[in-house]
Amino acid sequence: MRLRSALLAAAALVLGGCVAMVRMGPGTVTVRDAISVSSDGGWNRLDVPGGGGEVWTSDGLSLDVLTFFVGIKDGEPLAPAPMGSRRVPPAFRAAMLPHQIVELYEASATQDGSTFRLERLAPGAFAGAEGFRFDFSMTRKRDDVALRGIAWGAVVKGKLYLIAFRAPRLHYYAKHLPRAEATARSALIRP
Amino acid sequence: MIAPRRRRIVIGCGCLALGALAPGAAASGAWHPPARFARPHEASEEGGLWGMFDREEARLKRSAFLVRDPALNDYVTRLACRLAGEHCADLRVYLVRTPHFNASMAPNGMMQVWSGLLLRAANEAQLAAVLGHEIGHFLARHSLERLRDVKSRAAFANFLSIFFAAARAGNVGQFAQLGVLASLFAFTREQEREADRIGLELMTRHGYAPGEATAIWSQLLDEIKGDAVTYEEYAGRSVLFATHPPIEERQKLLEEAAREIGRPEATNLGADSYRAALARHRTEFFADELRRRRYGETLVLLERMRKAAADDGALEFFRGEVYRMRGEGDDLEQALNAYRHAAALHGAPPELFRSEGLVLRQLDQEAQSRTAFRRYLELKPTAEDAELIRTYLPRE
Amino acid sequence: MKLPWLVLRAAALGLLLAGTALGQTNRAAGFRALPQGAKIALMPVNIELFEIGAGGVPEPRADWTTTALRHLKDLYRERKAKLGAQVIELEDDGDEQVAELNRLHGAVATAISGHHFGMLPLATKDGRLDWTLGSDANVLRQRSGADYALFTFLRDSYASGERVAAMIIGAFFGVGLPGGIQQGYASLVDLRSGQVLWFNRLLRAQGDLRQRDRAAETIDALLAGFPQ
Repeated sequence: MRLRSALLAAAALVLGGCVAMVRMGPGTVTVRDAISVSSDGGWNRLDVPGGGGEVWTSDGLSLDVLTFFVGIKDGEPLAPAPMGSRRVPPAFRAAMLPHQIVELYEASATQDGSTFRLERLAPGAFAGAEGFRFDFSMTRKRDDVALRGIAWGAVVKGKLYLIAFRAPRLHYYAKHLPRAEATARSALIRP
Repeated sequence: MIAPRRRRIVIGCGCLALGALAPGAAASGAWHPPARFARPHEASEEGGLWGMFDREEARLKRSAFLVRDPALNDYVTRLACRLAGEHCADLRVYLVRTPHFNASMAPNGMMQVWSGLLLRAANEAQLAAVLGHEIGHFLARHSLERLRDVKSRAAFANFLSIFFAAARAGNVGQFAQLGVLASLFAFTREQEREADRIGLELMTRHGYAPGEATAIWSQLLDEIKGDAVTYEEYAGRSVLFATHPPIEERQKLLEEAAREIGRPEATNLGADSYRAALARHRTEFFADELRRRRYGETLVLLERMRKAAADDGALEFFRGEVYRMRGEGDDLEQALNAYRHAAALHGAPPELFRSEGLVLRQLDQEAQSRTAFRRYLELKPTAEDAELIRTYLPRE
Repeated sequence: MKLPWLVLRAAALGLLLAGTALGQTNRAAGFRALPQGAKIALMPVNIELFEIGAGGVPEPRADWTTTALRHLKDLYRERKAKLGAQVIELEDDGDEQVAELNRLHGAVATAISGHHFGMLPLATKDGRLDWTLGSDANVLRQRSGADYALFTFLRDSYASGERVAAMIIGAFFGVGLPGGIQQGYASLVDLRSGQVLWFNRLLRAQGDLRQRDRAAETIDALLAGFPQ
């Protein structure tokens, strides 16, 4: 079923000329009209119409992934349910505490059966607001690859702004962490 | 039900379908297990089947989703070994971390038990029932018998491959074809009766109460009803259920067969030994279970477990977690009740106080939430979220 | 609606196949060929064979896969000379570090297949084959005694009888149904740096791994241009 849906989607996208990986920066870049961040020019953005967070990568989607869930309003999920699933994904609520936002992210990240473990949750400035950051580890179900991850987030004027970075534990996480962190630290909410 | 009811669609996957005692079957006590099997020649039909499973086993050995704890592995292996007798030497048990209910045994001796099953078995006797049934299929060489029918061979190989793929995926959401393929292959009625007969024999021989073979299925049925989903929908996402006849039908037949076997002295449940063996993993398995977000089902499971262990603080804590995560209606108040009850019992983890603090904070009861958070940090000073929690405590 | 779905699937396949004609380089920058007498560790082959039923869904065939694996092992042994190096066969011994590296390589190969040879090129790579396993690849070097490793991956699907019938009917109506795809890669890694030195991708609608002589053709296609 999934193969079929994926091919269908791929066909539609390629036929429509909609799929591309665009170089981000170097310089300041706008994400989803919600925030601006700076990029060192080493990131590529995947443009996929239809929803879900914005996705950047340097070495490829199966390796390092920087995802932006920004401007999420009360009642919205982080991302729509995968094609063909009857499950309703949990929604963001403006009153959510950081622990709950971690659980929201965890629910999204483990939909495919991957495991998730929170390693650290701490306060931290983000996007010019008092926010939080969390470190985590995962095992990706599809190919058993061990991942490490980090996310920065804040709720501002009732909307959620979250940037999550994850990459294989071997080599790739360490390679791109400083760059991901630099981008996250540069985030500013657009008025 | 996805598969047509006329056919008995069962593959040795933890199934406990039962028929009445087959004509000619020996009376209780007269059944003897076969001698150990020799490894077949690689080029033979049987050899090809073994090769297939050997490859799958090699893959499984590398999986990051294997539960590697030696103590738990020893426990399950020892139980399976006891039941399998002489065949213990040919048996290899693999525990797979996935919150779904399933067990299976391949003709090459590889046995898989999923953590969803380990979480749900109420006692050692129930686990023995499931393992015994699998061993029954193995001892009676049912897979190999079916292979002799060339036409079903391809379908069988397909189905097992999908089963293993599903094992790697943890669910069958993506395998809509499962039902269709399952209908291409069926163990015969006689084979099912035989596996159940052998399973009950093995269980009762080692003193386990045969009624537990029925109980484990009733429990699962109750759980399904907990989320108000239809049997068909549940079957649609479960490897086990997509391929089995309805539970109620099997329960009747199991009870009959247990009566036929007799052995009134077989009454052992092994509840305590089972709980002790699972203790270290229960939290982890429950975290996986919670992640499924099937709150109704989880609550039914917890209710049953609590009846058997009313003083278990950890179970009360998990119950609170379900309400907290669902967060509908008066769930938050229910969660608080559960946490408070858990605190008065024995065995609740320190996370109890964190969860209590979170709920109190959500209900705008700040002063009380701070008390709970302080307690959490006292019990777990190096908690992974200590830094965040401290932001809720002024001047600390 | 079956018909539109089939049409779209055929179109998607056509585009995927077209992607292989993009002419991307198989070699990392600065790499020419293996030095004389180089030792290569042959990683256990990662392979699955599928059957496509009438509905178009690929179903794994473990019995075919077992057979194909046996053919490939024999064929690699025969081609040791062609590889122009000392080949060391690595068996799956459950070593966790090697397993993790193997899994990482799978993810790297997916990136190369999709982004270097496929339809989602990464602007920042600028057409270079520039991927690595990182310095942890040294673990493999220590385990095997080799300086390089060759990874093989194959997924092959074959039309079932019902599928072939559907294809014939489809052709009658002017609808092209794909019969089956063979996809795979061969990847040569420098175990000192972890760098992927050479990568060859196979993606075509032909080939049969179930028969020994036809499997030989696949191996030769996979190893075409191997930098000995």
